Amino acid sequence: MRKVAIVGQKQINAADVGKSRERMLFELCRDFYKEMGITRHDIDTFVLCSNDFYSGHTISNVFEDCPVGAYMKDETKVEADGVMAATYAFIRILSGLYDTAVVVASSQGGSVMRPYLQMDYSLNPTYDRQVDLLNEVNAAALQARAYMDEFGVSEEVLDKIAARNLRNAARNPYAFNGKTDVTPADVANSDVLYEPIKAMHCYPFTDGACVLLLAAEDRAKELTDAPVWIKGVGDLLETYYPERDVSRSKSVKSSAERAYKMAGISDPASELDLVEVSAKFSYQEPIICEALGLFPEGSAGDVADRGLADMDSAMPVSPSGGALGAYAFCAGGLVRIAECYRQLTGGAGDTQVADAHTALAHGQDGLFLQHNAVMVVSTEEG
Amino acid sequence: MTFEMGPETRQVEAMWDVSTYNYRMDGTGIRLLTEGMKEKKLRGIRCGECGMVYMPGPSYCRKCFVDIDEVVEVKDTGTVMSYCVTMADVRGNPIEEFRISAMIQFDGADTWFVGTVTGVEWQDFKVGMRVKAVWVDEPAGSLSDIDRFEVITD
Repeated sequence: MRKVAIVGQKQINAADVGKSRERMLFELCRDFYKEMGITRHDIDTFVLCSNDFYSGHTISNVFEDCPVGAYMKDETKVEADGVMAATYAFIRILSGLYDTAVVVASSQGGSVMRPYLQMDYSLNPTYDRQVDLLNEVNAAALQARAYMDEFGVSEEVLDKIAARNLRNAARNPYAFNGKTDVTPADVANSDVLYEPIKAMHCYPFTDGACVLLLAAEDRAKELTDAPVWIKGVGDLLETYYPERDVSRSKSVKSSAERAYKMAGISDPASELDLVEVSAKFSYQEPIICEALGLFPEGSAGDVADRGLADMDSAMPVSPSGGALGAYAFCAGGLVRIAECYRQLTGGAGDTQVADAHTALAHGQDGLFLQHNAVMVVSTEEG
Repeated sequence: MTFEMGPETRQVEAMWDVSTYNYRMDGTGIRLLTEGMKEKKLRGIRCGECGMVYMPGPSYCRKCFVDIDEVVEVKDTGTVMSYCVTMADVRGNPIEEFRISAMIQFDGADTWFVGTVTGVEWQDFKVGMRVKAVWVDEPAGSLSDIDRFEVITD
């Protein structure tokens, strides 16, 4: 199998970027290509990630091709999350047809469209949408309660998880929702949206875009001295609720098992130096991390009390602040990969984890953590 | 109880109300164009690298991938590049009068523009014909300041 590496990243996240989607993408990609020392003609294939509903027209990529430099170039789109798009770009390079690929994921959920509405229209139109009882936030509340009840986890634990992420985000220049010195009590005092979900448990509405450059082995080594190799991927989808126990995530577990097998990882908790997960609500972080095999099932209280997921712990979880720091739909997962890249190349600044060589990025789409994808990346070529 | 199982298809009426969008667009090129239209002038933007004149102009060249800002005057006459005769609306309802919709390349621009051509029988209309914009009496600085096009007869 070919070796494929990530050789560069660039991202922008804001509550309101103050410019059009086209201009946001053009400026991001123009500057990124310049930094990488390439032109758009050096890119063999473009994989875009955006959503028709967010963009307000079908085939959302049609007005993104030119701003990312894909005019008259090989181009495709994945309409879910950036981890899934990056996985597809990885596979395209593995095919041998392409040596370089750019992945660009974006949306403007901060300024253009309330993100929760998009989720409403992903509900089953002949039942859930007609009954009109579910939306993204009360689905989060239902899943949080199921997890808390199953494992005896208190609301205070969700507050602690949120506070840790918001404090981490305050140290990350790419996150805009960070809160220095925020305490679990501050989180507990934020508005209750749907009990037990409070405002500070939730991802912020975000305008954002992220771009990654992937390359096959020879090109990767020409483009950078510090490639970050893609070692394993997994991408699985389950139903959003009827046929499953929402207190756990089988699709996170199975996608991780696939990725670990591919990457030759047998003990993820000791072999991974950090993870970046797309927990859009604080309660999702333990469900994801437990399914990844990093902590025992139902151990959220213990992990929070003992700081086992802190930036300076043995298993740092989302040192960037994760989705609570910024989460643009589609771009959210790609940002997780970009953050792993920053960590493994030693460029994570105030969020840098010491001796980071192998990391995992997680992305999701849908209600109740329905669709999950993971990517294991490493500085070790192997 | 007995219940007859088996395939059954139902049709359910559902709403697809996509609410309100706050679209964002690049304003510069359209402002340049519409401000000129108040004085019945057309202005586009030229790429300094490939020379392409866009009207209305984007803020970057889609081919050269660089920012562009050179303003150029464009004439309100042009050439018909293609046309069709519109006979029905998008839902298939016939319209009362046939309408000629033409793609027009203005003199001095490289991009095409869609407009309605009047004063000519559709059977007589041809690609390559020369047309001129017919302006509204009191231009307000909007794209509808060009009311329609008419064929230039020598």
